[in-house]
Amino acid sequence: MNFTLHIWRQECAQAKGHFETYKIENISPDCSFLEMLDILNEQLISGAPHDTQPSTPNAPIAHPVCFDNDCREGICGMCGLYINGRPHGNDDGITTCQLHMRKFKDGDDIWIEPWRAKAFPVIRDLVVDRSAFDKIIQAGGYISTTTGGVPDANTIPIPKHDADMAMDAASCIGCGACVAACKNASAMLFVGAKVTHLALLPQGQVEAADRVHKMVAKMDELGFGSCTNTYACEAECPKGIKRQSIARLNRQWIGSLLGRDGR
Amino acid sequence: MLDPKIPSGPLAEKWTQYKASQKLVNPANKRKLNIIVVGTGLAGASAAASLGALGFNVDIFCIQDSPRRAHSIAAQGGINAAKNYQNDGDSVERLFRDTVKGGDYRAREANVYRLAEVSGAIIDQCVAQGVPFARDYGGLLDNRSFGGAQVSRTFYAKGQTGQQLLLGAYGALSREIARGRVTLHTRREMMDLVVMDGRARGIIVRNLVTGDLERYAAHAVVLATGGYGNLYYLSTNAMNSNGSAAWVCHRKGAAFANPCYVQIHPTCIPVHGDYQSKLTLMSESLRNDGRIWVPKKKEDAEAIRVGKLKANDIAEDDRDYYLERRYPAFGNLVPRDVASRAAKERCDAGYGVGTGYAVYLDFADAIRRMGKEAIEEKYGNLFQMYQKITDENPYETPMMIYPAIHYTMGGLWVDYELQTTIPGLFAAGEANFSDHGANRLGASALMQGLADGYFVLPYTLQNYLADQISVAKPSVTAPEFDEAEAAVRQRMDRFMEIGKALGKGQTTSLHTVDDFHKRLGKIMWEYCGMARNSESLTTAKRLVKELEDDFWKSVFVPGNANEMNPELEKACRLEDYFELAQLVIDDAQHREESCGGHFRTEHQTADGETLRDDEHFMYVAVWEYQGHGQPETMEKEPLVYEHIKIANRNYK
Amino acid sequence: MNLPKIHSITKKILVGALGAFLSFFLLFHASANLLILRHDGGEWYNAFCHFMGTYYIVKLLEIGLFAALLLHAVLAIWLAVTNKMARPKGYHKPQRSKTHTGSKLQMWTGILIFACLLMHFTDFYFVKIGWVKGKYMAKTEAVVALKTTQPNAANHAEQHGEYSAKGTWLTNFDKEDKAILEAAGLEVEPDFYHQAREKFKVLHIVISYLIFFTVVWFHLRHGFPAIFQTFGLNNHKYSRAIELLGQLFTWGVCLMFAVVVVGVYFGL
Repeated sequence: MNFTLHIWRQECAQAKGHFETYKIENISPDCSFLEMLDILNEQLISGAPHDTQPSTPNAPIAHPVCFDNDCREGICGMCGLYINGRPHGNDDGITTCQLHMRKFKDGDDIWIEPWRAKAFPVIRDLVVDRSAFDKIIQAGGYISTTTGGVPDANTIPIPKHDADMAMDAASCIGCGACVAACKNASAMLFVGAKVTHLALLPQGQVEAADRVHKMVAKMDELGFGSCTNTYACEAECPKGIKRQSIARLNRQWIGSLLGRDGR
Repeated sequence: MLDPKIPSGPLAEKWTQYKASQKLVNPANKRKLNIIVVGTGLAGASAAASLGALGFNVDIFCIQDSPRRAHSIAAQGGINAAKNYQNDGDSVERLFRDTVKGGDYRAREANVYRLAEVSGAIIDQCVAQGVPFARDYGGLLDNRSFGGAQVSRTFYAKGQTGQQLLLGAYGALSREIARGRVTLHTRREMMDLVVMDGRARGIIVRNLVTGDLERYAAHAVVLATGGYGNLYYLSTNAMNSNGSAAWVCHRKGAAFANPCYVQIHPTCIPVHGDYQSKLTLMSESLRNDGRIWVPKKKEDAEAIRVGKLKANDIAEDDRDYYLERRYPAFGNLVPRDVASRAAKERCDAGYGVGTGYAVYLDFADAIRRMGKEAIEEKYGNLFQMYQKITDENPYETPMMIYPAIHYTMGGLWVDYELQTTIPGLFAAGEANFSDHGANRLGASALMQGLADGYFVLPYTLQNYLADQISVAKPSVTAPEFDEAEAAVRQRMDRFMEIGKALGKGQTTSLHTVDDFHKRLGKIMWEYCGMARNSESLTTAKRLVKELEDDFWKSVFVPGNANEMNPELEKACRLEDYFELAQLVIDDAQHREESCGGHFRTEHQTADGETLRDDEHFMYVAVWEYQGHGQPETMEKEPLVYEHIKIANRNYK
Repeated sequence: MNLPKIHSITKKILVGALGAFLSFFLLFHASANLLILRHDGGEWYNAFCHFMGTYYIVKLLEIGLFAALLLHAVLAIWLAVTNKMARPKGYHKPQRSKTHTGSKLQMWTGILIFACLLMHFTDFYFVKIGWVKGKYMAKTEAVVALKTTQPNAANHAEQHGEYSAKGTWLTNFDKEDKAILEAAGLEVEPDFYHQAREKFKVLHIVISYLIFFTVVWFHLRHGFPAIFQTFGLNNHKYSRAIELLGQLFTWGVCLMFAVVVVGVYFGL
């Protein structure tokens, strides 16, 4: 398969950045999207006589395209590209590394952009800084335990239904697709997932009101937008986190305003 | 002389005794002591969180953009613990025995016993952190069974246990970061260890965003940087997983133990093209219901390979269910190493399907027996994952699988306190060699990582630091830091110079780091993979050496050292892999026996099973670095089994 | 300027709460409007309008309503501005995620609603506060009482006005009648029944109102179920019910409004 790639190139955080066009040929449909970028990079580096040279004349040997990736099996949350108008590309319930070239048509134009959000500044090319997510978690997205001195694991039975729902919310991988998809660059689904996970467990309820307050305050402070119920986050979440976790976040928030630990 | 520092006394008392008699640091003094933790996986995050909570000043480093990305996150199946919640006869003693036996009697008794002893507390800790383990309808914790055990002791959270445990540890770590006890440094790669007066006193890291080299000093360094499976290029490890942090410590004097013990997982999605970057694991649990086969006739296999026949065209009588044939007792459920070797044997003999390096994992029988819905409920997410990758529907056509590198049992040698041969340098999790012997059982890696981090290091580090309270925090301007940083800079400059020279007036195509890495991986997989022998290892050694020479002549690294430069990162790691590969080969060559993941074709039983040589090889091979290109010297740590009775593994 | 620190969710909840208040007003308004379809010469509908125009609690609520409308808009715009700021550099390719379109239009439908309200007020509300002229009515008993002191004015009223079905009101005065009657000291109030019946006989007015209701439909279609989400009342069990309720409410309100306008046009 052959493609024309339009890739966002940006030297560093301060640089202006622009789209660069590359042609890439003979790609197997079984190739994953990131492997396709690997091939492009190989060609850019080795300078092989392909049409992969940047379109600007007299350019030096192109620096390979930088993009974040790690586990390449959809669980680490490291990869994240905005491909033809969709975070993680045109398929449902996947991360970028799980997107395969067979999802495209031969000869397609593919536009590849980094996540765009004030809270996720671009570092280089397609790499963005998502440490804002860590900061939100640090604000309170945990249960305060120190090692040792905890009760036996079976001391508090937890209804299976609650445990299962907590698990569903906890499967968030922190990739940031929700922020990237949201027209407001809102992190409500990310925060909602963590708040939901912990609020459903008796261990997490102790700090529930405090937690939601601190996490939301931090989220606002970091420059994420607010939720306007478009649910693009839900549509693009690779782990199927539901809008209901945002509702729970709102509920928890109202509870915290009323000064109580609600579920 | 190696001293494993195993406490005296009966096995079951050792850890209690140790804790009772170890030295402690009082709270006021803890504030004066600094600890560096490298890696934020289960071992690193749990260690940093626990040490931070105790009151030490901790700096923690990871190469990813967030601590939550460490590759522990990808573990699927579960975590073992001797809770005996199922009342099925589990106990610390039994978990200990299963682990030692699973490791083919090549693990240190005292360490394994301690691991089993603290396993229960791990579950308590995780539940308190909010890890949503699976529960039954009564609200109590559920268990599943795993390979190598006759009891159900595996706790799980869907197929994402590693993720949930890591997020638990990440939460605990985040709390300590918020409290100011731990300082987080992301996108930093450890480039060197700084040793002062024989003690580990700091590290040099490269800031992967700016390319700057940075210095960090501490009273002790904990390495929790995982294994070196990516030496083989294609593995189930993450792209950024690497062995370099451990290797630079090895260069600085930390001994490396049992490098040839590499685990190969039998059920991975096969390689399908040269461009492939990694292999995806399909859970071991699939073997509960799937039947593994290849065509009985070579011509059928050939026809399938060229696409003339499909799997479903092969008549029942023309299928060879080779695991069921060879191991009637265990059938498709033989341990990982056995299943892997059997698949390789068939493919090497020309019966492979797909590209020739794949076998079928067929659910047709199970679907007939239990119905499609039952299979979907059990394995739905795995089937979906398979379909996403291969575009084939496993409900209709058999899955294709092939073994792949998964885990490394070898690693930095550590004593009972998890301290390496460099005082003040500790290694935890997959980075050390300690608990799994020659083969790791499923669901034990998570247990070991968390045991080391939550329940071992917080004690043993204190014991080390107790006499360090009067030592001021080392200065990063000390000559040792200058020297280490200069050496790192030199290493990187070397690549940049080669690159500049090659890039100038370039006419032919240049070789990238990945080019070489792929070739190294192929050599290692081919000659030092699932089956090795003296001849193949000699070939491997020669080929690796040749490739390394070629690498230094023609590897092209673009860009500069003072910017974000993933190619340079990969080049530095590959440089270390060349040395590591040679050590793996040497270790495999010297170990003239077969045990666990190490299979020497010269040493097998008449029906092709591993043949241990307990008389000559019941020891840990501990290697010491002697300089680049120099053969390493080996010391032996004898394995003394006082408690356990040694037996053969038999799965027939 | 030091604005009070209001967290994003609180702002959102306020927007939602005000929206809920406005939604209920709409439901109330739409149901009351159905009275226009009674051929009773405005007996009931005008009684209702009279109550609304004179009862002091309603008057207070009216102020509240305007305040709510304004605050709803101000907060929503405030949020929209901060939301825009959350992504200083946008994407080159337009978004192709599967999302609700309603919320993306919410800002614009909101602004359109303000424009439509201006039209609506010109037609009706401004008559009440006297900014524009329209149809008027008076209580029959007041006219009767007038007969002794101002027989001319009373006669004028009886000649030019129409009695409502039960004769409570003398209705359908125009602005000249109003001037004469008021000069005579008669209390005159707007006759919204005839006002509506007159306006909705004109095709272009009917069409513009139908456009208005469509805009309201879009605004409510997203806004009403979103209130539940924002108040945290949405969960896996109720999400379908909420969706259904949202549909029902939106269609209900808009159809009730539309039925009156179209009905009058076709002589119902």
